[in-house]
Amino acid sequence: MPERSGTGPSLFRQIARRLVVFTLIFALLDVVIVLVTYARQPESLAQELLGLEARRVAALDDPANAVALAGTRNWSARFVEPDVAADAVLIDWTRREQIAGGYRISGVRALDDGASPRWLFLRFDAIGMRPFLPVIRNELIEHVALPLVPLAGLLLLFNIVSVRRVLAPLRRAESEVDGLDPENMALRLTVPGEPREVDTLVRSFNRALARLEASVLTLRDFTASAAHELRTPLSIMQLSLERLPDGPIKSELQTDADQMTRLVSQMLDLAQADALVVDDPAVVDLAAVGRDVVSQLAPKSFAAGRQLRFTDHGGAIIHGHAEAVFRIYRNLVDNALAHAPGATPIEVSAGPGPQLAIRDHGPGILPGDQPHLFERFWRKDRSSSDGAGLGLGIVKRLVDAHGGTIAIETPAGGGALFRVQFPDPSFTTK
Amino acid sequence: MRLLLIEDNPRLAGLIRDGLQGQGFAVDWCGTIAGAEAAMQVNSYDLLLLDLGLPDGDGLELLRQVRRRKDTTPILVLTARGGLDDRVSGLDAGADDYLVKPFQIPELAARCRALMRRPGAALGTILACGNVMLDTAERSITIATSPIEAPPREVDLLEHLLRRAGHVVAKAALENSLYAMDAEVTPNALEAVVSRLRKRLAAANADVTVRTVHGVGYALLAPVAAPAMPKAANA
Repeated sequence: MPERSGTGPSLFRQIARRLVVFTLIFALLDVVIVLVTYARQPESLAQELLGLEARRVAALDDPANAVALAGTRNWSARFVEPDVAADAVLIDWTRREQIAGGYRISGVRALDDGASPRWLFLRFDAIGMRPFLPVIRNELIEHVALPLVPLAGLLLLFNIVSVRRVLAPLRRAESEVDGLDPENMALRLTVPGEPREVDTLVRSFNRALARLEASVLTLRDFTASAAHELRTPLSIMQLSLERLPDGPIKSELQTDADQMTRLVSQMLDLAQADALVVDDPAVVDLAAVGRDVVSQLAPKSFAAGRQLRFTDHGGAIIHGHAEAVFRIYRNLVDNALAHAPGATPIEVSAGPGPQLAIRDHGPGILPGDQPHLFERFWRKDRSSSDGAGLGLGIVKRLVDAHGGTIAIETPAGGGALFRVQFPDPSFTTK
Repeated sequence: MRLLLIEDNPRLAGLIRDGLQGQGFAVDWCGTIAGAEAAMQVNSYDLLLLDLGLPDGDGLELLRQVRRRKDTTPILVLTARGGLDDRVSGLDAGADDYLVKPFQIPELAARCRALMRRPGAALGTILACGNVMLDTAERSITIATSPIEAPPREVDLLEHLLRRAGHVVAKAALENSLYAMDAEVTPNALEAVVSRLRKRLAAANADVTVRTVHGVGYALLAPVAAPAMPKAANA
């Protein structure tokens, strides 16, 4: 399976980082606005500060115990009683006045702490902005942090959910792309319709696939046509060779011509195997096909001093392509004939159930060679001149086209056993 | 035995014609479907050798036309097409056999002979392989010029094997034709007949061998190392 997780940052991290940066810029802007506003309205800043101080002092039992606000001088606070007799009513007021070396803030705040209303009078002198820091901090928390943090969180959540939803077609496309391979070039990605960006990407990817398919098919056609066209000149060459006077040169040339013939046949077989789609399966009796193959190959193997045996274990019926099954058998038997030493028998069998097997009594297959056996043009001994290493590749492709599997076993007593398992015909629809 | 070879490549046609003439066949050659039609009107042939890719059409079309005329002349298709479905479609169209290029002359000649021996076609009454000869009318066996006696069942068996010399004859086919439908056939009955025939042939110094292909059938093999046989790659 291809690696699904990339190395780049995840979507969540990307969005979160952008959102944090964005929020910070926004907060900074907010802070600047707050500061500018208050700097232009020192009166309202004084009002806020006085209110804040009043609440602080009110929390104490005795205002006289209150500690002076940082950065202030002549700080005083005391409760005042309204002069009821004079019918004077105290109201909240604030005054900010310039004094020598700074400013003075004084005022009264009504404290409503349940019992009787009390009035607190506050006055202090100060220079600069330092006393206002608590006010500004409060303002920042109330007007900047409190609204922005939940908003940023919600935005993050909303962004991730919506981006994920928008990107869902991309994820589907990703899994579809993983399913692409040269054997199955007709595959196209599902066009999502929306979002338009993914839609256009998928469409242009599909157009690229169509171009690739065309070139793969051209290549495959070329292999098939080239192999096909080579057959007539090969026939002429072989028949001309037969007319030469017997001798070592003739037999050498005939061996070469046979090899070329075999290679051309295998290239054509492979091109056909690649193009095979078992879309209209017929009922194939593996035992009947196995007998056919053994009948055809037996005279050749007798001539080479070899024994071919066939055993029917019963029930070997599949849905498939008879000629393809024939070639699976034939290539496996050819492979056994080529690799097992002379005089050892080769056992071909069908069944039990939807499977076939070819067993030889040769040296067997080393575990290290197993992964390479079905690779095209792989040969254990590259210097050997028999075969091109395509036979088992053809087998693999034909078995794959049937949805079957091929396994290599080492039976008791040595040798190699190739077992091809086909899907159970009772589960496949005909 | 007169054959009509329909092949558009003149060099290949020349080689095939010379080769088959060397094997005792009379061969007429033409390179087009039209030429073949004309030749068949003038002469009657024992066998057609048909290439599929012809300049004026597909050989399969000619094949269908011949069969539509109820003409049962055996037709052997010679072709460079070895596709997964080509052999089947060739046989479906009415071909009697199918041989993929390239091939060797002995193989082609053997297939031609096999086709002409088929029931309905010109039937040679003397079957021979190696030093064994069988007169199918007289039911007599001659080995190296001296006649030998054999029970009818062994003669029948030998005839079947000789007709398909170099090829495997299925056990079931032999059992069907050697025993009547209702006869009780023990599993070893055929084996016993084969074994007796083997001994008889060996005793008379026959140079052919009857080989067992386990699980499939029997084959009569000629003494020479390379009897005519199908090439694996072209099946």
